[in-house]
Amino acid sequence: MNVIEVKNLCKTFKVKEKEKGFIGSIKSLIKPKYKKIEAVKDISFDVEKGQIIAFIGPNGAGKSTTIKMLTGILYNDSGTINVMGINPNKKRKKLAYEIGCVFGQKEQLWTHLTPYDNFKFFGSIYDLENSVIEKKIKEFKEIFELDEFINTPVRNLSLGQRIRCEIVASLIHDPKILFLDEPTIGLDPIVKENIRTLIKRMNKEYKTTIFLTSHDVGDIEKLCKRVIIVNKGEIVLDDSMENLKYHYLNKKIIELKMKEKVNLDDSKGITILKDKGYNLKLEVDTKKTSISDALKLIDANNIIDINISNVPLEDIIKSIYKGEK
Amino acid sequence: MLMEIKKELKFMLLNVKYNLAREMTNKITFLTNIIFMILNNASFIVEWIIFYSLKNNIGGYNFKDIILLWAIASGTYAICYIFFGAIQDLPKLIMDGKIDSFLVQPKNVLISILSSKTKVSALGDLIYGYVLIFIYGINIKNIILFTLFIITGGIVIASIAVIFSSLAFYITKADTITSSITSTMLNFDTYPDGIFKGIIKILFYTILPIGFSSYIPLHIIKSFNIVNFLIVIGYTILVVLIAFYIFYRGLKRYSSGNLMSARI
Repeated sequence: MNVIEVKNLCKTFKVKEKEKGFIGSIKSLIKPKYKKIEAVKDISFDVEKGQIIAFIGPNGAGKSTTIKMLTGILYNDSGTINVMGINPNKKRKKLAYEIGCVFGQKEQLWTHLTPYDNFKFFGSIYDLENSVIEKKIKEFKEIFELDEFINTPVRNLSLGQRIRCEIVASLIHDPKILFLDEPTIGLDPIVKENIRTLIKRMNKEYKTTIFLTSHDVGDIEKLCKRVIIVNKGEIVLDDSMENLKYHYLNKKIIELKMKEKVNLDDSKGITILKDKGYNLKLEVDTKKTSISDALKLIDANNIIDINISNVPLEDIIKSIYKGEK
Repeated sequence: MLMEIKKELKFMLLNVKYNLAREMTNKITFLTNIIFMILNNASFIVEWIIFYSLKNNIGGYNFKDIILLWAIASGTYAICYIFFGAIQDLPKLIMDGKIDSFLVQPKNVLISILSSKTKVSALGDLIYGYVLIFIYGINIKNIILFTLFIITGGIVIASIAVIFSSLAFYITKADTITSSITSTMLNFDTYPDGIFKGIIKILFYTILPIGFSSYIPLHIIKSFNIVNFLIVIGYTILVVLIAFYIFYRGLKRYSSGNLMSARI
């Protein structure tokens, strides 16, 4: 069952352009010039219930604009959006009961209040009974380990603690879909891992569909089974994480530790990434040369150690952003 | 529909409750804000005492009428800034694209934004307004009409501010226009309407509608008139509908921002 259906979605922003300097300011006052920026160009995709999907792209690719249209923050110019069977433009309030949002760069919690008071406030926003809110707070307090700081004003919390509270506040009404816009931004590796575990647990226990945007490859790799990559407002890839990791570029990295120095040059499908005499690092394009053919170039008796790995996901994503195939 | 209105009102009161809870975290600032606002308002009455020691009638108002006018003006602004305290921030929130968090809540966006802040000093205005109405003449009729009119007046001022703030969806720096309009209304509505003539009087019943928020209510409290009463209620409903219409029309042009932000 699809919980999100997007067809031919478009959004254009009109931005004022000003020539440089004071004269430019005067000209712009008399005859303002505008340019159109196509933030989202004709994108279509579906998301099934219970999926954790990564919606990624470089800065300015149109990720946030798309999320904002899906959540009813922005109106789309054309195309259709259906989230839980609701059109966000027409039934924004109804949709709000079904979704939760966490914007890593924007606090939704009131900083002068404690997390407990914030949760009570957010529960009331969603018309929940007091007893239900208390039950939810108790439940999340255990899952998200909030005991230590639930009565400390939000302004005094660490970033990791705050993000945990932001997620709880967005879950208080049992949303069917959770939109996470860079939830781990600025967090240290341990807290990041902690947040990822919690997101996974939530998806497993509550069957919450997760729609995630992040620049952190770790978030994407460890959480998501499907990736949509957008660039310049268009979808450039919509595939499973497995396909993306193992098949998209068909490139493997071979690291070798040798007994004796080897002289090897770039050849068809083989690129020398590092050559330190006894240590070699090669990239093999398996579309052009197979791994066994590449290894035939090296004397097997001369090898002390060998490691064959996939190209790091970060490099794959980078090359997709750059438009390489 | 009525159920929906009831829910929104309940939410607005909840917002005010939490706003006050936030403000009370700093007890001294909370109390001094209230006390200094009362003292500030009281200083103006001293000015009027001096004026009336020189002249018995100013613009058709005696000193008791001035007391009533100040009570209404203080009460009206109190209601506006207690329940719709974020009104002064609205143009900036729109311009900076900072209303996202209100848009993902299942409540009316405009009410959510406006009631997300309470100006503590407005509590001083409210106390001051009620003190003055006690001085003016305490009876059930006066208390009921006064309470009703400071509510309608507060709503009228907030609605006018929303209408001008909504310009921020179309132009930059709309905050200057909104603050000019609200401060002009505040400056005028503590003076007897009899001293204003011609075009200024027209302004009071059009773009600066203090006629509906202060002057007509004052005359009704002095001498009840059902037609005027219905005009005030009808105008309040009309201006609220216009404010909602213009804000929601503008909202379609809203472009969210990506600035880092926090709710404080």
